[in-house]
Amino acid sequence: MSMTRRMMAVLVLSAGAATAAWAQDVSPAARELDPLGRLSEGSRYQIELILDSARVAGLPTAPLESKALEGISKRVDGRRIVSAVRMVFRSLRDARSVLGAPATPDELNAAASALRVGVTRAELAHLTQIRRDRSVTMPLVVLSDLITRGVPRDTASQTILQLWQRGAADDDFSGLWRGVERDIVSGTDPGVALLNRAREVPPRGPSSQPEGSRPEGSTENRNS
Amino acid sequence: MLVPKPHATAIAGMLALLVPGQRAMAQNASELETRLEAGALTTSRTGQIPQSTFQLVPGFRFATPRFTASGSAAAWLGGQQMQLGDASAALQAFTPLLYGIRAEVATNASRVVRDLAVESDQIDAEGRLHFMRQRGGLWLGAGVARPLRVAAVSNVNVSSGGIWTRFGAATLRGSVTSFLFTKIASRADSIDGSAVVCPAHVSASPAPADATVGPADAVGTGCRHTSRLTDVESSVKWEHHLMEVTVRGGQRFGDRLDVTSESRQWASAQAAIWVSSQLAAVAGGGREPAQPTRGLPARSFGSLGLMLAYWPIPRGTVPVETPESMVHAFALRAAGPNTQRVTARIGGVEKVEIMGDFSDWQPMPLIRRGRDLWELLVPVAPGVHQINLRIDGGQWIAPPGMPTLRDGFNGEVGVLVIGR
Repeated sequence: MSMTRRMMAVLVLSAGAATAAWAQDVSPAARELDPLGRLSEGSRYQIELILDSARVAGLPTAPLESKALEGISKRVDGRRIVSAVRMVFRSLRDARSVLGAPATPDELNAAASALRVGVTRAELAHLTQIRRDRSVTMPLVVLSDLITRGVPRDTASQTILQLWQRGAADDDFSGLWRGVERDIVSGTDPGVALLNRAREVPPRGPSSQPEGSRPEGSTENRNS
Repeated sequence: MLVPKPHATAIAGMLALLVPGQRAMAQNASELETRLEAGALTTSRTGQIPQSTFQLVPGFRFATPRFTASGSAAAWLGGQQMQLGDASAALQAFTPLLYGIRAEVATNASRVVRDLAVESDQIDAEGRLHFMRQRGGLWLGAGVARPLRVAAVSNVNVSSGGIWTRFGAATLRGSVTSFLFTKIASRADSIDGSAVVCPAHVSASPAPADATVGPADAVGTGCRHTSRLTDVESSVKWEHHLMEVTVRGGQRFGDRLDVTSESRQWASAQAAIWVSSQLAAVAGGGREPAQPTRGLPARSFGSLGLMLAYWPIPRGTVPVETPESMVHAFALRAAGPNTQRVTARIGGVEKVEIMGDFSDWQPMPLIRRGRDLWELLVPVAPGVHQINLRIDGGQWIAPPGMPTLRDGFNGEVGVLVIGR
């Protein structure tokens, strides 16, 4: 009888310990401490390798960790998460090589996104070469969206580049985006919608400046 | 006419309406509202002293994308008895929208009981054709109303037309409704005891329609008078955060026999303030015109009440709408340093969540604030962020109204640019 009781006690203790261990493994506190802990060992190891490579290259790691967390929250398979994080890493590395060291994290992210949707390095370089002291973030966000929505890449790049040269402001780009989105929803061809709406953007005066003549105080000049 | 304790029965029945219904008939995007309002009411007729009464108005509305069923009642309580009871039930059915055109068939049945003795029933049927666009539309309609029991009026031919448009958070409507019917000028047939005067009589001594005439005037076989009323009405409905305000005003056209001075113009306002996700306080006041075919006099009113809303959600049914099309509005506005107020207008759903890089991609449920308003304060620093929206635990989507990007997982994210 006492043997049976001892066995019961062992079983209960074992079950309790197992439950506690499981609860600890998935508790919110544990997840907060180690948000990547929900990945398999193999996937997590590969992502840590990518993060390490980013640190060595001087790239921000926040977008990479964010992509991994996004995949975890969306319950994506670990291998696909690794693949997506690797793609973000590569695009960030390419964006940095085009934009240079002084690019802000937002610009770097926007440029990386543009590269991922098909914008070429040459087009990105052309866009960033003519920028003055303004952030290129908004034009790149709009460019990436337009391509995602079906505007031909060449048309989108050239139109955004021309507007950027004409001194279009962030509000102009967001207004352009809203108009194009509305037209596309109404059934207009995406490329035609962009060209039509681009004509409505008012010129903001000459802003196109040759390379090397950026105003004093611009980030490019400070670091060159 | 004394009826013992009519108040208790009436109030108990009306309070029962405030209990939200069950989800047995639930369909996608359906909603159920019950309301109970109480307030003061003053009726007026030409030549009579205005009467003040206490009014209780319960009502309900159940709406789906294809049909709407509603019912309302009013009890005018004065002294120890119910002076007038008015109840109506309506059913509207809609066809699917095709090339911007939608047809509607509406039926309505109503009963008016005055002093618990005189009863008047009426059945209405109307067809409408709606021409709808994104920000406005118009409709044309025609119908007929058939009074029963009391032959004070013949069949009522109703024709109507209207136009509506949206300006931001406001919806403007304008309508013209024409009524054509034949009155039988017999006091015995009249619903409220006020006789209708024959044209010949009028030519000698003009008198308004609601004027009380002496017995000698009402005796006889009666006479017939064709009446034509035209109501021109406009309204503005404005929705802002937790408040809904509706202001109405109108003008009635017709000759003196048909339109008394109390019903020439009217205006009223009603406001609803949502105090929780399913409870709203409602207040209203103003003036309503007479309904001559139903025997309801012109009245001024002021009322306070409660509205309970219930949005039953189906389980296991195929959604009629895509998640994107269910989001009527989505916006972020600065609500302090590094804080954004997220608001979304999504009707007929139970749960709305967002997540993004600002939350380390942890879902954050929005709080329901009203009929279809969802809200949340989110800590978001200036910069470029990615954001997703999820409705009722479905697929994560990019919120409308902002640029999007592919997320690398066969989905999309919205790109949020917050200025520094």
